[in-house]
Amino acid sequence: MNLSFPIKKWERLLQRQKVRDQINAYLFLLPALGLFALFSWYPILKTVLYSFQKVGLRGPAGWVGLNNYVRLLGNPAFAIAWRNVLDFVILSIIFGFMVPIVLALMINEMRRYGYIFQVVTYLPTLIPVAIALLVWRFIYAPEGGILNSTLKAVGLPSQLWLQNPKLVKFSLIIIMTWMGAGGSVLIYLAALKEINVEVYEAAELDGFSPWQRILYITLPLIRTRMAIMLVLQIIFVSQVFTEPFILTMGGPGNSTLTPVLEMYRAAFERSDFGLASAWSVSLLMVLGVFSAIYVGLTRRSEASRFS
Amino acid sequence: MTSVRGILSDIERRSIGGRIITSFFLLTLVVVGLAYIFPFVFAFTAGLKTSSEIFDPGLHLFPRQAHWENYAEAWRRFNMTGMFLNTIYVALGGTIGRLLVSAMAAYSLSRLKPAGQTLIQTLILVTLTVPMIAYLIPLYLTLTNLPVLHISLINKYWGLWLPYSVSAFHVMVLKNSFDQIPQDYYDAAAIDGASPLRMFLSLTLPLSSSILLVLGLLTFVGIWGDFLLPLLILRDSSLQTVSVRLYTLTRSFPMNLQMAGAFLGMIPPALAVLFLQRHMRGGLTF
Repeated sequence: MNLSFPIKKWERLLQRQKVRDQINAYLFLLPALGLFALFSWYPILKTVLYSFQKVGLRGPAGWVGLNNYVRLLGNPAFAIAWRNVLDFVILSIIFGFMVPIVLALMINEMRRYGYIFQVVTYLPTLIPVAIALLVWRFIYAPEGGILNSTLKAVGLPSQLWLQNPKLVKFSLIIIMTWMGAGGSVLIYLAALKEINVEVYEAAELDGFSPWQRILYITLPLIRTRMAIMLVLQIIFVSQVFTEPFILTMGGPGNSTLTPVLEMYRAAFERSDFGLASAWSVSLLMVLGVFSAIYVGLTRRSEASRFS
Repeated sequence: MTSVRGILSDIERRSIGGRIITSFFLLTLVVVGLAYIFPFVFAFTAGLKTSSEIFDPGLHLFPRQAHWENYAEAWRRFNMTGMFLNTIYVALGGTIGRLLVSAMAAYSLSRLKPAGQTLIQTLILVTLTVPMIAYLIPLYLTLTNLPVLHISLINKYWGLWLPYSVSAFHVMVLKNSFDQIPQDYYDAAAIDGASPLRMFLSLTLPLSSSILLVLGLLTFVGIWGDFLLPLLILRDSSLQTVSVRLYTLTRSFPMNLQMAGAFLGMIPPALAVLFLQRHMRGGLTF
């Protein structure tokens, strides 16, 4: 009996099948690879290259070394914009970070109808930002705005919410918290639901008061999730653009000038795409650091999932 | 047996202290909830006022007389039919593109074992950490002059559909979801002689229909409200989406019409909540 012939034939068939499998695999990947290359990988690479070039409306026009970076660092707007981001981050830790945690803890204690509050807080996240800001601009309006009308009605002086440099960051953070808290509430509620209730029962038997349970059980158990949300918050706040763009245009007196807003102006108002790319790279570096922290944190939380 | 309870136990909730705490929570949540829906109510009632009444001094949330015709006028003068149709067109195309491209890639990465899978996955994951705004300028210049083809996508819906189709988040979420489908199903289908395309269409996609639906809805709503990219790509006012159009156009109109238009523009995405809330009750997170 000759067995070698069918085995060889099998091998050849298997080989052909493998090639065909790879062709199929790549046919399914092709649209994604093409589009990622064209609209993600290539532009990311280009940003770094452009930051060393003189770039106008017609594209790159020669290498200029570190010139764009020299102009970037020499511009007072650089320090002001990043200082503003720092202020926004600090304010958003007080509001945008704490508010969802408190809301989630409260909603979690509701036996029925808790989901109604979940839905209500989630609603603003779905609304087009630009349209919501039109409404907020009128709420904050110095004359006829409902906020100042309310203050007057109770005998308090009215405020220039968007025109006072001391108030404007606070006013914007309120809007951002309104728009962003709902998504975080969902994530915290999921984390709270994951905690095994037997832990609370045991703690109750050991004489832990409700506040002690929150302090020593709940918060430590969602600590990693809180750290992740904090980093996401910082990443998000570093990119603030639409709020100052629509409401204040960076004013009053540059107090809401942000890196992305200044990048937008350099590119689309002055056609200085090289300088704008240097702004982008400074943003990329900051975001890169926090993204790395984020990835590290999510890895750790997956490794030590509480069950 | 684990009972349904929060941090407080049922017995504690019935005690006086527990009742005070839960009532306090409920009260706070109601106040916060009202504050959350206030901008919607405010836009709605401001849209019903006359253009002078809206600036009357004093606290008055509701109009003396409801001018419903403001809404008709806003709809007509802002050409909101055209605006909505443009937005639906942009959001629908972008959503279909993103789901299709991401699902195909996710299917390949999940089941077809392409050579160099680790490298491809890493490259896709890296883009998750770089927001679009950081590479907006080269992206914009690419769209004004596509490589090789040398055509401009400014004022073309493809200029939005193509970049919207790129989403590392969607690829990873769908890959994780496809990974959960038992391999036995695929083995059985392979024995029946099903091709990879066949398995994708009649096995993978139907079994993932609920996640595709939720992802699709969130994508649709997200694109519906996107601002910066449509602002840059759609220069021709007859093509613009609701966000861009209301932003550029309303400034020159009376405040009551602005608010009426803004309220109308907020309705469609808000309706998505009605669908999503069923999933929220189940504890779905994104």
